[in-house]
Amino acid sequence: MSRRTPVITGSGIICAAGCGVAAVRESVRANRSGLGPLTLFSSPRYANHLVGQVRDNVDELAGNVRGSRSDKLSWIAAREALAAAGLASGLGKINPARAGVMLGATVGGMLGTERFLTAMLRENKHRFGPLRFHECAGAADLCAKKIGALGPVATLSTACSAGAMAILAAAELIEQGEADLMLAGAGDSLSRLTLNGFGSLLLLDPNGCRPFDARRTGISLGEGAAMLVIEAEETAVSRGAKILARFAGWGVSCDAFHATAPQAEARGALAAMQRALECSGLQPSEIDFVSAHGTATPDNDAMETRALKQLFGDRIPPFASVKRFFGHTLATSGAIKAVLAVQSLREQAVPGTLGFEVADEKLGLEPVREFRAQPVSHILSNSFGFGGNNVALVFERADLSCRSRREEAYFKAGSSQSLLTSAATKRGFAILGIGAVSAAGNSLAEIAAAFRSGGAANSAFAVPAVSPTAQAKVYASGDFGAEQFIEPAKRRKLSRLQQMTLVAARKSFSSGLAAVAPEKICVAIGTGLGSLNDTAAFVENMILKDERAPRPSLFTSSVHNSLASQIAIELNFSGLNSTPIQREISFETALWQGATELASGRAELALVGTADELNQYQLAAGMRWGWWHEVSLEIRPFAGALKNRERPLPGEGSAAVTLGNAKNVAPPLAFVSAIRIGRSENKDAEAEARWILQTLERDGIAAGDVDLLLTGANGLAKLDNFYRAIAGELSRLAGRNIACGAYKHACGEHHSASAFGFLTAVGLVCGEIAPELCTADKTALTTACHTVVLFTISQTGTKGMCCIRA
Amino acid sequence: MESLIAELKAKIIAGFQLEGVTPADINSDEPIFGTGLELDSIDALELVAILEQDYGIVILERSVADKAFASLRALAEFVAANRT
Repeated sequence: MSRRTPVITGSGIICAAGCGVAAVRESVRANRSGLGPLTLFSSPRYANHLVGQVRDNVDELAGNVRGSRSDKLSWIAAREALAAAGLASGLGKINPARAGVMLGATVGGMLGTERFLTAMLRENKHRFGPLRFHECAGAADLCAKKIGALGPVATLSTACSAGAMAILAAAELIEQGEADLMLAGAGDSLSRLTLNGFGSLLLLDPNGCRPFDARRTGISLGEGAAMLVIEAEETAVSRGAKILARFAGWGVSCDAFHATAPQAEARGALAAMQRALECSGLQPSEIDFVSAHGTATPDNDAMETRALKQLFGDRIPPFASVKRFFGHTLATSGAIKAVLAVQSLREQAVPGTLGFEVADEKLGLEPVREFRAQPVSHILSNSFGFGGNNVALVFERADLSCRSRREEAYFKAGSSQSLLTSAATKRGFAILGIGAVSAAGNSLAEIAAAFRSGGAANSAFAVPAVSPTAQAKVYASGDFGAEQFIEPAKRRKLSRLQQMTLVAARKSFSSGLAAVAPEKICVAIGTGLGSLNDTAAFVENMILKDERAPRPSLFTSSVHNSLASQIAIELNFSGLNSTPIQREISFETALWQGATELASGRAELALVGTADELNQYQLAAGMRWGWWHEVSLEIRPFAGALKNRERPLPGEGSAAVTLGNAKNVAPPLAFVSAIRIGRSENKDAEAEARWILQTLERDGIAAGDVDLLLTGANGLAKLDNFYRAIAGELSRLAGRNIACGAYKHACGEHHSASAFGFLTAVGLVCGEIAPELCTADKTALTTACHTVVLFTISQTGTKGMCCIRA
Repeated sequence: MESLIAELKAKIIAGFQLEGVTPADINSDEPIFGTGLELDSIDALELVAILEQDYGIVILERSVADKAFASLRALAEFVAANRT
């Protein structure tokens, strides 16, 4: 028995084809489509389109849960998966610190945000309430809280491959030894944005999708959630859980080609499938069934059949697309297919391609038409997202023994220490370049100067949503010199946030690194909220013009992973391409993904970072809630000046860092190790200090070497005092005085701030930034700063850390 | 027809911020997208939005757009026949 092989012990699902695995199974058996009329909201333009709307009462089914429709759908599926895994009443024997949640999401609370904007723009009613549930991270936070998971918790948003990406990230955490059990999957509700967005791309088929059919013209939009409980085999066996199926392997690639269209020669899709087989230790002939992405757009199905021919030659296994059963559920798509794959392996039967009638001579291939019994040992499941983000997963029958040797790659023989850790023990991953766009400046020298002058200068930001003259004080990026880095023909197609991201990325990636093979370079660019201004412009347009003339370019830049995929396209990087969206720890999640690709040897370079921008609606909501006003104070960490409902001034920015193994060509600026994400429930400073120390110790870093704990302290007394208490506990446990530092006075409060913190830490250990400019207690630091621990805890308790050393 | 072609050229140059491109640079009989203008498929879809906004022509299928964008002359004929 391979002890850390990921096995599946529970599954849950809710979609237009039914609520619960049994109900969806019945629809699939009966070849019955769940597509129907749109009643969830009114859409003048697409009123006659068939959609995959969940007909059950989602609010009622979710029970006593507050959140967006996506959050509720996610919890309904999660609850079923947990119950199936024997965890209905809690984690039982599982240590909560070793249980986590990894979800995919693209829509989040957009449906509620649209209602807020409609009321504001149409009726001048200011109901900001739904904005609280806008974020895609809501579902993962909700599920983690319900379960009591204290291990890694994060959300990934790689468009239509996000659910599949989340499943493999969960498996990776298990193989690395970071978790014993993960809830993994995705949830996305219908929204007007996605309906109009796909409409603007002319990718909708009003009469319901017809995958692989000669007459196919596009997708049917759907909604739903699907979840798996994945655990280490040793965990499942020791607690007596029934193994439903195995997760044999996965492959990831990026087309590095186009924002929405697949690369016609199917290079990326083929690479993902090949990598999945290699990772699983399987030959193409051992795949018994392919669960196709099969969206029924002319381009996808042509590209995907081409990839199948290239991979399997003239022995193409039976394949099918299940999209007509419940529509294209975006992030959920890969997760639903995972649940159905588990079901197929258990039943020894495969689903048919509902909607397929007329074979397409140009494709030259026909999918399985109807549900049928057949022997199945291995299923390959494809998910392809916008930006050319391709993921292929391989599922295996429960009674087979996994042939993968990945575990050996992660664990050296006889060692309990995983490779993510041991790769870092020597000195850590080399920091080969950094890039920034921020209120404090766009280079380390400018940022250092801002710290010397006491922080960044704030500026006024117009908020017409409140009143024609309303302004908010903010830390804005200002002019970040986009014209020096992006040629005009390309710039006009990029959102402001995309430009900020690309500038930071280009700065971090020095020309000396270009010799590395494109498929060995991965990109993980996180964001808390994505391109807010383009998203808002698309939705405003939709509301004010009754859905006339929707703008495709605004829709494509509203897609979160357009930030990471544009870098891949621009710089031709075809390794893993991902977009973590986990509030304040989006950067730490991106860092973990990049480090994982480096540690596994799949990548030689990892470009990681985050980006977030200011937007007037976000500011209007904060002003409404009493967070900010005309005389708001600048951020002064540890000063305790904010009173009542006041919050730190908002900011924006992008930061990127290129990491590699130490053997890479460029001389490193510094090294990073002890990379970890997790979650806390109680504000217990000693527990946090112990978590930090344990993480340092497993990477061979002595607590006594730490000079500074660099934190997200922002002037809110409660948070600042908590961070100081953690530094105090760390000092006590380490037996030396460890100072508590801060950086938000130089970048403002935003979800990408900790990436700025990372650059600050690099500046500190390189001697560019004087430590006393970042610390509360100026007497604590008597010597130069060589080892900095960056620690961030979000409002919802998710947390991340890393250690930066000279 | 020639005046409509000129009008459409002006819209394309303004809409896509084609700096340094004059109407004379655009051949009326060549495909609009995928040629020397460096306009891609997203631009083609943006042009669909412009046609709806300015001429009230609603295109919901890609095959219709593909035909209309065969050349500027074809587009002008399409607009003349379908404008509301």
